[in-house]
Amino acid sequence: MTRFIIIRLLQSFIALIGITILVFFLVRASGDPLSLIASPNMTVEQYEAVKAKWGLDKSWGEQFIIYMGDLFQGDFGDSLVKEKPVIGIIGQALPNTLKLIVPAFFIGMLLALLLGILAATYRDSIWDQGIKFLAVLGQALPGFWVAIMAVLIFSVNLGWLPVAGMATPSHYVLPVATMVFFMMPGMMRLVRSSMLDVLDSEYIKLARIKGLPERVVIWKHALRNAIITPLTVSGMIFAMFITGAVITETIFNWPGIGKLLVETTFSRDFAIVQAITIIVAIFVLSINLLVDISYAYIDPQIRYQRS
Amino acid sequence: MPDTTEEKPKKKFTGLPLRARVIRKLSLIIPLIIMFLVVIMAVFADLSWLGLPNVRLSPHDPDDVVIRDRFLPPAFMDGGKSEYLLGTDKLGRDVLSRIIYGSRISLSISALVISITACIGTVLGIFAGYAGGRIDGFIMRVTDVALSFPGLLMAMLLAVAIQPGYWTVVFALSILGWAPYARLLRGEALKIRDSDFVAQARVCGASPWRIMLRHIFPNVINSLVVMITLSVGMVILAEAVLSFLGIGVPAPTASWGSMVNDGRGYLDTAWWISAFPGIAIGLVVMSGNFLGDWLRDKLDPRLRQL
Repeated sequence: MTRFIIIRLLQSFIALIGITILVFFLVRASGDPLSLIASPNMTVEQYEAVKAKWGLDKSWGEQFIIYMGDLFQGDFGDSLVKEKPVIGIIGQALPNTLKLIVPAFFIGMLLALLLGILAATYRDSIWDQGIKFLAVLGQALPGFWVAIMAVLIFSVNLGWLPVAGMATPSHYVLPVATMVFFMMPGMMRLVRSSMLDVLDSEYIKLARIKGLPERVVIWKHALRNAIITPLTVSGMIFAMFITGAVITETIFNWPGIGKLLVETTFSRDFAIVQAITIIVAIFVLSINLLVDISYAYIDPQIRYQRS
Repeated sequence: MPDTTEEKPKKKFTGLPLRARVIRKLSLIIPLIIMFLVVIMAVFADLSWLGLPNVRLSPHDPDDVVIRDRFLPPAFMDGGKSEYLLGTDKLGRDVLSRIIYGSRISLSISALVISITACIGTVLGIFAGYAGGRIDGFIMRVTDVALSFPGLLMAMLLAVAIQPGYWTVVFALSILGWAPYARLLRGEALKIRDSDFVAQARVCGASPWRIMLRHIFPNVINSLVVMITLSVGMVILAEAVLSFLGIGVPAPTASWGSMVNDGRGYLDTAWWISAFPGIAIGLVVMSGNFLGDWLRDKLDPRLRQL
């Protein structure tokens, strides 16, 4: 087990380095980042001075070594446009995104579990049909469009909810609902199919033969096993939330990571884009690592197969 | 079994209620019709590719700016003109024509992206599954990372690195998109590798390349076709997200995602600018998913979880 964890840790680390290298050189391949902040009436000397200030006069290899050195000390460099440390800018935006993600995760999970179990328990009933239809609709309609239509209906026409801002709890309703929309349909389908698999298994039949009430069979015996599959795709949920945050924050003008990412993409402020990518990569890799380790802990077969 | 009882289970099996049978038929026919119409729309939007620029399906030029006619509601509403069936946008451009031209972007990008990703994923997947060992381990690790890395983030990074544009979108959607193919086909190849006919081919002296190409590949085509159909919707959605955020195909080229974004500022006065392109995306993606589901049930029912 220790060997397995060490190998997986090493692999994740190598993957992280790989992503960092990819990001670093991809961004620099785009051309001179200074062309955006340099004013046209700068003299050549001034331009060179700015270039030296940012360390862009050195070769790519040297720049990379300096960047990696800083990175290991937790320093993501400075924003070219705002001239402030990147980590501070991200630190300001991150809590706002978490305020969306955390409630969306719990509400979305709860709804997906309830509806998924309902659909699986009463298979082919009118409930099942309805929930399946919802899932199909949810996976086909673009999230950004649904959010805009929700604004049209609830804010513009009915005037119930505010369009943008984050002052009162009612400001949270539409953004959080949008985030829920991004993860729920897929999750619901997953819960349903995993629940159907479990309900088909021998031990559930045994539980029924024993004469346990259906309530206990579903909520105690089946649910505990059916919930494992949806939890193993936490990495996927995280990826959906990143996409969701970018879109939701753009639509509702929410000052979080997603909006920051869109803004810095347009201003080509590559230090920030680079930092966000690396931070997300760290998150993704750690989630995968945790899932893998807990899997290997439960199922010894994986331990030997993979290492 | 006696003859009399043989009839009974047969009848029970084919005797789905009429309503269910009709729904099942419709859920195949309607998506097929929608897909067919969209392809027709994209191909015959105009015939300039045949040297006939004046023969066109779209009622207007998608980029024709008629300031006099801006913000006109759809024809079925008060104040709408019959020449603008779905209304006009802030520059007086015809929404319907832009939707028709937008289908070209959606379809051509998804066709390109799917061809690229399916090829790369198939090659990597079959190779990993057949080779096994360290090669398999390495390819699957890379696949794992590619699978869980948010595609949108990668696309934004590329939009920073290269300028946004048609080929940037294709590249951005392809760079991670091969991973699901690789994982699926690797699993399939792994199963087939250990089957008897592959062992026999090996005994007969077939080279590994020949086995992969002539013995394994034909046996994974079903899964591949199902996966390709199911990814049509995903790629169209992903392209729409990119153009919605302004990092897709640059303006003024009409694309469905950027049209939704165009109308965002005029929701209170001109909802139709955003509403109709979104419906177009939803219809096409849903049709793609329905066809994919149907094909999967026909060709490869084992792939239920896809």
